Amino acid sequence: MARFANGKAPFLRTSDAKNSGTGVIMRDFMIGLLPVILFAWYKNGIKVFIEGNITFLEMLYPLIFILLGGVLSTLFEGLYFYITDKNVRNFKTLGQKLKVSYAVIPGLLLAMVVPMYTPIWVLMFGAFMGTIVGKMLFGGFGNNIFNPALLGYVAIGFTMLGVIGNAGGVFNASEVLIDAYGGATPLGTLAGTKVIDYDTLVAPYGSLWNFLLGTIPGALAETGSLAIIIAYIWLSIRKVIKWFTPLVYIGTVFILSWFIGMAAGDAGIWFPVYSILSGGLMFGAVFMATEPVTTPRNPLGKVVFALFLGVLTVLFRYIGNLPEGVGTAIIVMNIFTLPIDKMTAIIRAQGIKKSTIFSALGLAAFLLILMVYAIIKAGNVYSAFITFVPFIKGVF
Amino acid sequence: MILRKAKGIQIDCYKQMSKESPLHEHLNPQFVYIPLIQQTTALKRTVEVGDDILIGQVVALREGFGAMPIHASVSGKVSAIKKVWHCSGKMVDAIEIKNDLLQRMDDSIQPEADTTHFTREELIEKMKQAGLSGLGGAGFPTYVKYQTKLPIDVVIINAVECEPYLTCDYMLINAYPEKLLKGLHYFMRAANANRGVVTFKSYNTHVKEVLQPLLVNYPGIELKEIKDIYPAGWEKYVVQQVTGKTYEGLPAEAGVIVDNSATAMVYADVVEKNIPLISRVITITGEGVKNPRNYYVPFGTPVKELIQLSGGYTEGLDPAKAWYIAGGPMTGRAILIDDLIVSDTLGAVIVKPMPEDKTHPECLGCGKCADVCPVFLTPTEIKRAYETKDVELIKKLNAQKCMACGLCSYVCPSHIEITDFVGKAKDLLRKGA
Repeated sequence: MARFANGKAPFLRTSDAKNSGTGVIMRDFMIGLLPVILFAWYKNGIKVFIEGNITFLEMLYPLIFILLGGVLSTLFEGLYFYITDKNVRNFKTLGQKLKVSYAVIPGLLLAMVVPMYTPIWVLMFGAFMGTIVGKMLFGGFGNNIFNPALLGYVAIGFTMLGVIGNAGGVFNASEVLIDAYGGATPLGTLAGTKVIDYDTLVAPYGSLWNFLLGTIPGALAETGSLAIIIAYIWLSIRKVIKWFTPLVYIGTVFILSWFIGMAAGDAGIWFPVYSILSGGLMFGAVFMATEPVTTPRNPLGKVVFALFLGVLTVLFRYIGNLPEGVGTAIIVMNIFTLPIDKMTAIIRAQGIKKSTIFSALGLAAFLLILMVYAIIKAGNVYSAFITFVPFIKGVF
Repeated sequence: MILRKAKGIQIDCYKQMSKESPLHEHLNPQFVYIPLIQQTTALKRTVEVGDDILIGQVVALREGFGAMPIHASVSGKVSAIKKVWHCSGKMVDAIEIKNDLLQRMDDSIQPEADTTHFTREELIEKMKQAGLSGLGGAGFPTYVKYQTKLPIDVVIINAVECEPYLTCDYMLINAYPEKLLKGLHYFMRAANANRGVVTFKSYNTHVKEVLQPLLVNYPGIELKEIKDIYPAGWEKYVVQQVTGKTYEGLPAEAGVIVDNSATAMVYADVVEKNIPLISRVITITGEGVKNPRNYYVPFGTPVKELIQLSGGYTEGLDPAKAWYIAGGPMTGRAILIDDLIVSDTLGAVIVKPMPEDKTHPECLGCGKCADVCPVFLTPTEIKRAYETKDVELIKKLNAQKCMACGLCSYVCPSHIEITDFVGKAKDLLRKGA
């Protein structure tokens, strides 16, 4: 008679295979980030170097900066584990622990969404806020409510904006030279001029192609829409992210922006395209709104989540007093992940019933009112120079 | 659809290893142990130590719901009443019969000259007297299903066998294809149904090859291929694939009765030869067994003998780092002591070395478990509700619908025992309600 091991069904797990589970998700995610990182390096380093504006070492700076972000958050998390847990005070277990808690990602993402020439100590502060406050104090990976990278980003944004501005400027060497109000980002231009007009918003940066390619002023990696789209396709195929979350999010912003453009008197399709290609929307939609821990788990929840993100982003962008609203919108919606999860799980289990139809209608009405409010309000703000309702103007 | 998506996924099947050698008969073990339990019902013993026993003689009775007799599987003497390990993971009392190797039959085992005159009632009574129960895994008394008052249009034979590693149904059909059709024919008569369907998995083309030529003699019987996914052998899935209908409780609501293929084959013997349910095919397989294969054995045979016949465990197998699984790898149970006996619901014993230890992360929140759930549950939410002991929420999340197919744990990249958590939530619900 032999005594065998105990275990729980099922005795087959995909996570037991050599090439599966954590390692693969991590690897695929990194491969997804690669085009975006490379583009950031090209745009802020290589391209500027070729133009002859910076030295060779300065050319390497963007790449080093992004990698430094990853190193910083890993260090902070390692330090946290080392201090709080006696059992992981050796190199091997510590390394394993950092690997399964994806320690490198928050810092990496953070470094990609902050402006060029952000002082290192500010990046450190952001990584600390994201990793220690946003992640570890909530109980570590899997228990955090807010997206750690975004929490770091918001922390920097609310406290250090002036510091970043003073420390050698927000833009890379060649961006400063762009003939758009001394190198403002497209959304900055919109917030500054309050005019929805192709010649003001797009023409100074070349054309919308430049928006797609990403050769416009903006944070390190967020402008490279094409690189992000490539990453999106890769991550969707590898099933690291759900393909529809970014689509719903960006689609909502697209449609709302179109209406706002119309309300402000310009119904051209260029405006919604401009809206989705500028700022951090693409980056946020693909890398932040799909972050599994802090966003709803089931498909219906993801759709509701993405819809609200779209509406909130538009609200914050056009009505709030910051030029960009993606980060804030995602942080706000992170709070609602738990209730959305709970409600959608019940709907999924019970099927569609009378009560669910009522609550769905209520939710839809709420969303609709928010949307209409955003359109009218933003339309009003941005029609200061162009006639809001031409017909009424004509009468007077 | 975003709300309710995907039914099942393809999983690795590991079936080839036990398909290679032919079905092996092992009809005369030294001792058999008839466990005094059927499903979860304790049986009433009707024989004493020292009694002389014939094959097919009634040795125990199931009483109450699903009342039926249980028969001896070998002839000989009752030598003791012993505790044995049952595939439910419990130790149960069993009747030990010392085999006299003479194969003396009970008088009731007589071939029927003519089976055409049996009425529906007589056919159902035969199921009951033969102690016929489902051999697929649930062990539900077959006659109870046929006593339904609802009209039955179709009898479906479930030969899908979607559990990995298992080949017992497949091997039995290949050995005795005609018996399956006969059994289904009698089932159809017992249900007053005109249509019979044999369902099998798409890659088992051999089943189609052996059955197709025989179909001419059996009007109303057809074959139906089922996609290679897990859990394709789930009753509701099979019924939906064949008839397009869904139901809440029992398949009879959709005018359907579903039976396992092995049950149908036993029933052919029950009707034609009056041999009760006393034997079955069991797959002995896994990476930890030298020569995996299928055995045709009387109930109560110690599995140890079968593993010896298979050449024993592979060299270097460390039992402390291996599983001894009763049933399929997805829904089976780890048995700690390798002292199991064959009973009606035991389709396989798998000996499988444990995978290497890895460090796994916390729940990522990837939602894969919800994506694959065939009954549209959200296991992560049920786990959360279980952890806060929120019985009301568990109920709202329909945890009781879980059939423990194991897919959520199977796909989980973080190696979380999510199936087990849902099971615990179900227990909590049962206690709380």
